[in-house]
Amino acid sequence: MKKTIFAILALAFICSGLGLAQAKHPSELTYPALKYEPPDPKAFRTVYAGGLRAYVQEDRDLPLFNIVAIVNCGDLYVPKGKTGLGTVLGDQLIKGGTASREGSVIEERIDFLGGSLNFMVGERTSMLSLSVLAKDLDEGLALFFDVLRNPAFREEPLKLAKARFIEQLRQANDQPSTVLNREYEKLLYGDNALTWQPTKASYEGIAAADLKAFHGKYFSPKNTILAVSGDFSKAAIKGKIDKLAAGWRAGTVVFPALPQAAPSPEPGVYFIQKAINQGYISLGHLGLEDTNPDYYAVQVMNFILGGGSFTSRITTKVRSDEGLSYNQGSRFSYRWGLPGTFSGYVQTKSSTVGYAVSLIEAEFDRIRKEPVTDAELETAVNYYLESFADGFQSAQATMQTFANLEMTGKPMDYYKTYRSKIQAVTKDRIREVAAKYIQPDKLAVMIVGDWEPCNKGGDKWPGPLDKLGKVHRIDLIDPMTGETVKTP
Amino acid sequence: MNKRILALAAAAVILSAFVTAGPVTLDVKEHVLANGMKILMIPKPGVPRVVCHVYFKVGSINERPGITGSAHVHEHLMFKGTEVMGVTDYAKESAIDARIDELMAQVYREKYWKTDGDAARIAAWQKEVDDLVQAQKAFIVKDDLWTQYMKNGGTGLNASTSQETTGYYVTLPSNKIELQMLMESDRMMNARFREFYSEKDVIMEERRLSENRPGYLFGEQVQAAFYTASPYHWDVIGWMDDLKKMTKEDLVAFHNTYYVPNNAVAIYVGDFDPKAVTAMAEKYFGRIPKGPDLEPIRTGVPAQYSEKRFYGEGPAPTSLQMMFHIPPDGDPDTAALSVLAGTLGSGGGGFRGGMGGGGGTGRLYKNLVRDKQLAVSASASSRPQWYAGAFQFSATPRVDKGVKPEDLEKEIWAEVEKIKKEGLTEEEIQKAKNKGEAMFVRSLGSTAGLASRVGRAELKRGWRSILTDLDDLKKVTNDDIKRVAAKYFVKDNSLTAVYTRKSGR
Repeated sequence: MKKTIFAILALAFICSGLGLAQAKHPSELTYPALKYEPPDPKAFRTVYAGGLRAYVQEDRDLPLFNIVAIVNCGDLYVPKGKTGLGTVLGDQLIKGGTASREGSVIEERIDFLGGSLNFMVGERTSMLSLSVLAKDLDEGLALFFDVLRNPAFREEPLKLAKARFIEQLRQANDQPSTVLNREYEKLLYGDNALTWQPTKASYEGIAAADLKAFHGKYFSPKNTILAVSGDFSKAAIKGKIDKLAAGWRAGTVVFPALPQAAPSPEPGVYFIQKAINQGYISLGHLGLEDTNPDYYAVQVMNFILGGGSFTSRITTKVRSDEGLSYNQGSRFSYRWGLPGTFSGYVQTKSSTVGYAVSLIEAEFDRIRKEPVTDAELETAVNYYLESFADGFQSAQATMQTFANLEMTGKPMDYYKTYRSKIQAVTKDRIREVAAKYIQPDKLAVMIVGDWEPCNKGGDKWPGPLDKLGKVHRIDLIDPMTGETVKTP
Repeated sequence: MNKRILALAAAAVILSAFVTAGPVTLDVKEHVLANGMKILMIPKPGVPRVVCHVYFKVGSINERPGITGSAHVHEHLMFKGTEVMGVTDYAKESAIDARIDELMAQVYREKYWKTDGDAARIAAWQKEVDDLVQAQKAFIVKDDLWTQYMKNGGTGLNASTSQETTGYYVTLPSNKIELQMLMESDRMMNARFREFYSEKDVIMEERRLSENRPGYLFGEQVQAAFYTASPYHWDVIGWMDDLKKMTKEDLVAFHNTYYVPNNAVAIYVGDFDPKAVTAMAEKYFGRIPKGPDLEPIRTGVPAQYSEKRFYGEGPAPTSLQMMFHIPPDGDPDTAALSVLAGTLGSGGGGFRGGMGGGGGTGRLYKNLVRDKQLAVSASASSRPQWYAGAFQFSATPRVDKGVKPEDLEKEIWAEVEKIKKEGLTEEEIQKAKNKGEAMFVRSLGSTAGLASRVGRAELKRGWRSILTDLDDLKKVTNDDIKRVAAKYFVKDNSLTAVYTRKSGR
């Protein structure tokens, strides 16, 4: 039964407030106790035929069936010269059909059933996901495993996909945010699989044989973890999946070496010209991995600095006090097995670009040097503790969370210990990790905007921009050829 | 087996309604306060979280020229505190705030009412305002409401304004619903729009973000040309001139008109006891005085009697849009139009929608993208909206093959004419029905999504319209399809927009 996993949950919800005086301010409210323990991954883990691992939860609330296959396979494993293969695979695993079915037949059938079947290729993990009504479980599951195991990468759909992706390249420099994100990563990580971009030639060079080889190498039961939930019994679903997974080739996968991050770029300003009325800005450097023991203190620190939306310092200063921007803050991004990035970000009108950057840099400096207040620490820690149950609201999302934990090699008691690790963060620890992971002398400030007005600045911060560091002008790449184009 | 979301005994004060669609039951508990505010509850026992949303029947269609964008500006200002929130000494702070408003009224008159305003006087007043803003900071508790929610585990914390509705959202631990009731009822009654002038600057930055999205400005013009008379004419963000010149008085009047309990719905989805929530709602939302009844929008869409064509060029991909006026939601033709849009457009949407793996089953995709290879994408959508609907075709040509938007226009017209004669296949119609039913079942599994759907539906035609719309969908026949295609897909009812990328790439 669905409820059994929450048997440990002691929900002491009483008629809060009934008969009590009406509060005027939140400080007058008291709340009944609430205890929540996260579900234990062990209770859901199973192994199907061929060593195919799975996290499975019966969820009988609605007549639905959901299954996701997470495969250790992604863009980072694509060899040089074949850039774009991950994107094409993402499209063609389904559209390219299987040994026995055309892609369009599969799509038509799923659509007719009111279901969905999607495939996405990420950096190091790919996900095939199916959702159908429970009455269509058998048919959906058969299509799901057919696509997962037997893609045919037929010529006609592949030809069409390549032509459409090449057409899409025309848009690569349209959106200022896309340009910023792409060039910022290129600057921080250097020239490797993390930052390679497809071109017309690289798309044209992708053949069905490349897709087949890539799929054959990584798609195997031992390299895949399932997340399954819905209106079924565990025993029944085991029988079905065992049958569909039987005979799936189970070789050992040899993974290519992960890219090595390049040496830090020279600190300073990196400017990309675009005739728009705002500057789109990221400023930062490489960060850390989320397996680092400092991760928890870094999360709390960044919440206070610029990750906690309106309760954070950067938002208060740049948006609320000064009215400079709609969107601003700081973030640590994380990647599996590689350091992520640390960045401040803001988009503001051209004349206040320098001013906004200077305010964010001042906040970087302040959190490194001064202790945060008790109230700031309390808000940040309480946010993580009190919102903790949020991640377990959906059975399917919970199963995927557990499958991802195992896939990326994180400890399976990650959620069990999460709150105590957040609770252990102190003001001293925050200052320590701020000093360690925010390095003002290494900041690369990347700006996509209109040079003249950005460089001129405004009343509160007159230019030029080289007051923020040496200015490097970056030319855009012609997405079709990969060649540099001189921007006006 | 008959599934039920919940089997909780309803208290006498709560009207309980079970409505069945196929094998699944949607159970919404309703309670109406004496002041007219509706409280809707969908209990889902399990993880101790509750989605708490408040929706108001107000959006950009309630604006007029001069104050466009004010529904959205107002939504931002609702986070700026009340007489008790966001302030340490209300008496002192409000005296400063009033003086700031007086000075800014002088600045606006000098700047915006005159063509030869005195720059020196403006600068002097502005300097005085800047000093007062600094003094005011001593009494302001920054983003107090937001912080209260965050430190109590609030997630999904946000607000949004659409053309028709405005919503305020938070998801809280089950034991903290009272916090939401207190703060939301407080800001309905006692909102004080502090930091009004800097917040307008923030919103102008928000508008600039849209302007810098290639194609946005053209789209804004197309919408304005399509809806000449009705208030769907302007975008929710509003015109930049109005954002600059709107005053705090405009916003106070807006608040007093629309933020009344008889114009609001609060909805709760999650792990809670409806009896307790009802009692709390009586205590907090029940204390707000009822407002006057509100008149619906007056101006509809006058018949065009002529085809409209719109051309533009700029930094976005070359594209085609064809728009047709259709009736607002709740019309007997809505379901057939929705089946048409789904059948023509499914999976052929924008670059993400059509390329992600699934989808690709719509007629336009199969015909124009896959078989004839004339388009990169081709899709259709039907948006009934509350007062004036639009059916839209969108397509992006294969520039590499020299295809022009006008070529796609001819192809789409050919498809439309075919439908007028033959309609759709029985399988296509059945597919649309299956999808509608499956989507409904899936929507019941969400929490925030369900709150949004049920809450918004309640404001217009009642939440049961979700079920009756599904019933209407199931009744659609091929004759309906042919009839609505012939009725609405005519040139005199259309706007065609052709956009060309300015440079070669």
